[in-house]
Amino acid sequence: MTISRVSDAQSFSLLVDRTGQLQASLQTLEQEVASGKRLFTPDDDPLGAVAATRTEASLAALAQYSSTSSFGTDVLGAEDKALGEAEQILVRAEEIATQQASSLLSPAERAAAKEEVHGLLEGLTALGNSELGGRRIFAGLALDGAAPFAAVPDDVSGYDPAKAYTGSAQEFSVKVGGGPSERVRITTRGDAVFGSSLQALKDLWTALDTNGDTAGTLAGLATARGDLSTERASVGGRQAELVGRTSQVKSLTVDQQKALSEVEDADLVAVIARLTQTQTALQAALTAGAEIARTSLVDLLRV
Amino acid sequence: MAISSLLGIAQRALLASETALGVVGNNIANVNTPGYTREVPDLESDPSALTPQGVLVGSGVHVAAVRQVIDPLLERRLLGAETDRQEQGAVRDQLTALAGVLNELDQPSLGDAVNGFFDAADALARNPGGSAERETFLGRAGALAGELQRRSGAVASLQRGADDAYVAAATRANDALGQIADLNRAITAAEAGGQSAGDLRDRRRTALTDLAGVLGIQTVETKEGITVSAANGAVLVDGGAVVHQIAVREQGTGLDGHALHEAGLSDATGAFIAVPAAFASGELAALARVRDGELVGASSKLDSFASALVTEVNRIQTNGGAGAVDLDGGSTAGVPLFGGTDAKTITVLLTGPDAGRRIGAALSTAPGDNQNALNLADLRTATQATLGNATFSGYVADLTGQVGEDAAQARDTAQASQALQQQLQTQRDSFSGVNLNEELTNLLRYQRAFQASAQAINVANQMLDELMQVIR
Repeated sequence: MTISRVSDAQSFSLLVDRTGQLQASLQTLEQEVASGKRLFTPDDDPLGAVAATRTEASLAALAQYSSTSSFGTDVLGAEDKALGEAEQILVRAEEIATQQASSLLSPAERAAAKEEVHGLLEGLTALGNSELGGRRIFAGLALDGAAPFAAVPDDVSGYDPAKAYTGSAQEFSVKVGGGPSERVRITTRGDAVFGSSLQALKDLWTALDTNGDTAGTLAGLATARGDLSTERASVGGRQAELVGRTSQVKSLTVDQQKALSEVEDADLVAVIARLTQTQTALQAALTAGAEIARTSLVDLLRV
Repeated sequence: MAISSLLGIAQRALLASETALGVVGNNIANVNTPGYTREVPDLESDPSALTPQGVLVGSGVHVAAVRQVIDPLLERRLLGAETDRQEQGAVRDQLTALAGVLNELDQPSLGDAVNGFFDAADALARNPGGSAERETFLGRAGALAGELQRRSGAVASLQRGADDAYVAAATRANDALGQIADLNRAITAAEAGGQSAGDLRDRRRTALTDLAGVLGIQTVETKEGITVSAANGAVLVDGGAVVHQIAVREQGTGLDGHALHEAGLSDATGAFIAVPAAFASGELAALARVRDGELVGASSKLDSFASALVTEVNRIQTNGGAGAVDLDGGSTAGVPLFGGTDAKTITVLLTGPDAGRRIGAALSTAPGDNQNALNLADLRTATQATLGNATFSGYVADLTGQVGEDAAQARDTAQASQALQQQLQTQRDSFSGVNLNEELTNLLRYQRAFQASAQAINVANQMLDELMQVIR
């Protein structure tokens, strides 16, 4: 378009349009500098808005998987500790059974051993009743639930290990990933874990009470200890899985945050450079505008 | 040559210069008047007369007409560009507002509410017996329902706003039609009496521009003024009379349940004539298009989302109708979490002091059972067949992306039509606008002419004086 004739209204409206556009870009740039973001409404960058929204959703899910994994790790850690202590109890019981198998011991020593085994049984029951944050870790993590294992009576005949467990029959799994199958069981029912141990300790107790052969209980004690260490290995395995998940989630989170930042964060160096550039352009436009009024014949005429 | 004729010539030249100076002065005065068309005096020499000596001598000058400097073809193109500019501008404004309503980059966003709801489900799955977790889950469900309702309401009120603007535009068009008819009469009358009607013509041009913004028009200039017809050829203004007015009648129901409007024509009898072809372009077309298209589409997407959410969450809460187990061991069969069927009506049905206990987090009565809470948490990443196999949050992201894309496209289109209109406007200003330097030069030119004519009168006067002295 060639313009051969310029009207005054034209030069002024051109100035107004141009400075208006420059001021609008200045405002956007200032907003970007002030907020550090480059996306404000989806029409700024529709695909970027989709990516940002999806990434936010992924980050929210990852945060939950991370919380859940660390919760599961805590629970499994407490289980591992309890199982370790239970193993120590059985080791001690095996020592007692071996000692008491010798006929050289006095009745008083036998009574003391019986007392100790009673204590061991109480100790194992207490481990089975362990709590973490008000939740029974060997009873399906029920909140504020009653103790799942019955207290050990003073009289050996009144104790039935098979009926000692009254806790939840439900095991507790946690969700550590997006898919419905990405779940990790973090509890084992108390009766399954401690059943054989309780029975073996009771057998030892009975043998001591009835002056029977304690050596015969050694096999049962060894099997029970084996059960505990098998479960402990399983707990350790699941704990390792959760720790692995946690670090995986952490690195995914870092990746996603980086992706989000790439989509929605302003490149401050570029923005500030453009800001300076636009300010200069605005200044130039305004200076040129002031010249429009000066290059008029009005000033030169003495009419 | 008669001295008196010199006097006459000088006198007429004075008058012509005076008139020309008036025209120039008027141009200068209107340098900043929007839509002003500069005028030029058409100077014409008076017919020559035969002197007694038998020579033809010119008899002076007069202003034959004061003419507007205007290019009718350019004016018509400007009207067309105005129609397009207003149409694209209205689309841009509406779609930008819609993108604002469904803006996921701003807080509180719908996506945040969805994420918050599923976060609460995850927390519930970690501790199904916790009353805080249960209350939080209900609270987040309520917040999500609230965000959906708010957005649904906002889209409905955008639609209402578009319809109000539609009716208002039709009223503006009728005002413009009346003005054009009146001005046609006034211009014809003034020009028949030999007067210049430049200011009236400028006002008519403004009225035509207003009308062209509302709907596409065609114009033909006749002796009786400008004949205006709609895009389908229906005559709106013929000379001094409005033939067809723009009429508006109720048609269809809006998202808020109230009636929407449709524009048509009405003749002298006042009967409504539906002519969709007459409203295919301009602001009216744009508003109707967005009102019945993008806004309804966005609203129905929100409804699909809400409906899928209600169905899925309730399906899990009630364990597909078989009943999950609440915190008191009761069955949740017939105890849904969400009520309503769409984004407008979605609510949380579980209310009251014990509402949290009614969440079916368990599938058995065993204490601490979290199996159903896990199922609720799984919804976060479950694809929904009714949402085109998107997840809930993915659907929200796509929706914001889509309205963003629509708005961005509308902005680009509007910018293009704005640029075209501006280019034509620049051409018009270049042709018809006032340039002060030029006017000042003309001012000097006519002033000099005036001074010279005055000098001619002086000379004639001296010649007469000398003749008088001979007689004495």
